[in-house]
Amino acid sequence: MKVGIPKGLLYWKYGVFMEVFFAQLGCEVIVSRNTNKELLNLGVKQAVDETCVPIKIFHGHVASLKDQCDLLVIPRVMRMAEREYICPKFCGLPEMIKNSISDLPMITEEPIYAQNLDQLYKSMEVFGRKVTKDKRKIKEAFHKAWKAYEESFCGIYDVGYKMRVALLGHPYNVQDSFLNMNIVEKLHDLEVGVMTEEVVPRREVNAYANQLYKRLFWTFARHCYGSGMYFAKNQFVDGIIYLSAFACGIDSVVIELLKEGIGHFPLLVLKMDEQTGEGGLNTRIEAFIDMIERRKWYESNVSSSRECVHGS
Amino acid sequence: MYYLGIDVGSVSTDVVLLNEEMEVIEKIYLRTKGKPIQTIQEAFSLLKGRYKDEEIQAVGTTGSGRGMAGFLVGADAIKNEITAHAVAALELDHEVRTILEIGGQDSKIITLKDGIVTDFAMNTVCAAGTGSFLDRQAERLEIPIEQFGHYALQSQTPVRIAGRCAVFAESDMIHKQQLGYPPSDIIRGLSEALVRNYLNNVAKGKEIASKIFFQGGVAANIGIKTAFEKALGTEVIVPKYHDVMGSIGVAIIAKEAVEKRKGKTKFKGFTIAQSKFVSNSFECKDCANRCEIIQVLENGVEISCFGDRCGKWSEKVAVS
Repeated sequence: MKVGIPKGLLYWKYGVFMEVFFAQLGCEVIVSRNTNKELLNLGVKQAVDETCVPIKIFHGHVASLKDQCDLLVIPRVMRMAEREYICPKFCGLPEMIKNSISDLPMITEEPIYAQNLDQLYKSMEVFGRKVTKDKRKIKEAFHKAWKAYEESFCGIYDVGYKMRVALLGHPYNVQDSFLNMNIVEKLHDLEVGVMTEEVVPRREVNAYANQLYKRLFWTFARHCYGSGMYFAKNQFVDGIIYLSAFACGIDSVVIELLKEGIGHFPLLVLKMDEQTGEGGLNTRIEAFIDMIERRKWYESNVSSSRECVHGS
Repeated sequence: MYYLGIDVGSVSTDVVLLNEEMEVIEKIYLRTKGKPIQTIQEAFSLLKGRYKDEEIQAVGTTGSGRGMAGFLVGADAIKNEITAHAVAALELDHEVRTILEIGGQDSKIITLKDGIVTDFAMNTVCAAGTGSFLDRQAERLEIPIEQFGHYALQSQTPVRIAGRCAVFAESDMIHKQQLGYPPSDIIRGLSEALVRNYLNNVAKGKEIASKIFFQGGVAANIGIKTAFEKALGTEVIVPKYHDVMGSIGVAIIAKEAVEKRKGKTKFKGFTIAQSKFVSNSFECKDCANRCEIIQVLENGVEISCFGDRCGKWSEKVAVS
């Protein structure tokens, strides 16, 4: 059986898990290509108008895969941690896809509960049965997939740079280099290293998130806020760049919380949508890095000398 | 000896020439009209003959078209608008703490402390609070943009206009026009809406300390300046060369870059005014990214390419 896995949304975090799971079940796994303009155009054409661009891109990936496989993985992720929620668009992803894209092969519509291993196994068992009746084989595939996931690291931890920034946001915004116009490479070109939330220990993320006056029940909001606070409070980086998809409701909350939490620590928010003109993005990144450089310089030689102002 | 600064913005292209004392000797303000290359050529043809190429000690470019412009003229420094605006303001007055800048497609706030930029913010996605929106409304009301501010000052009772989105603002204006409000009240309402949008959106959460400079093309609008002063309850200073602060800043940055390098300027000379530049665009079909490549030809010879993600085109041309 050919199983198609779209390279969008949570693929960027849990893709390895899905790939290994279906490969272990003896399936031929086909992952869609990296996002490109063709896939973006395809997605924009198919998806409902009001949704965010990462969801539109996911539609593009699905459309590009649908004729190549017998089973398409459209994960309906309901929950990733106890008493937490994720963006409702994930819960309704199969509906969005089914109603927008025609002639689909069989898809994985059943919900995925991933707050603990038992729940996750139960969810994955349903998927496994679409391929095989052999329960032992499913169990084995599940364990191998989980091991592969645990051994993988999808984050970025740059060392050897004089300056480093944390790149925060939903994992698909941070990892999809087409969507974020290759921001990691742009930063490297400016001789700036990058860190992502995956670097921050989970207990630290939770510790900062728990300091808020109210329980933060969105999983991604917790990750972004907690890791942002950790980076800032420990001066682990010199600034934070927050990548946010236009019209993202969760980000609108997290960004405000983070701004308040980190105080004067440098923060740049970049809004992403369908645009492919890089000018606006470049200006903001350049100015941000300029600012950090001068601030650092100033903090290390506190002086009001005129010369500090300029420079190339 | 002179220093040249060029700011290629979405609406206007500004060229300044500074003398050794960093005073503005020449100031050219042209509408870009979507043709940055031709606009720079036009500016250069005005300078050519009056200044010799050898008199130019350094040249810098800024603005959204800075990359292409920098290549075209042989810039010593290519710098973003934020830094350029800050440098120019500080050159004028070292005590400036806040810069409000509203240009054609961008609006930004820059916070300074002890002569360095400590924070900045730019408008994110919507251009409702920027110059091109005002331009469009002026055109629609058939009032020259230069007189827009004076109209606003004549108003006794401002009309409330929705300022958050250009589309909403325009329909709100039309509805109120249909009800018979005089243009001056509507224009004042629009000015206040723009300021409200700026303060609630771009400048949200930013400290706005005095001295406050108001720069960019929109600073020419006395109505907006007044609306800012009313909203902030303090004086807002519009520098004499508010509309070309970006080019002044980048001329200074270029001067320092050349001095730091202890070298000579890379300036290609005013003669590019006579060259024939043609730019073509095409879609590269070599991979699925389908990049839109801009190819610039000078007198029929390809001199530069932009727009590719992989660098295949932009790195191909041997640059002089």
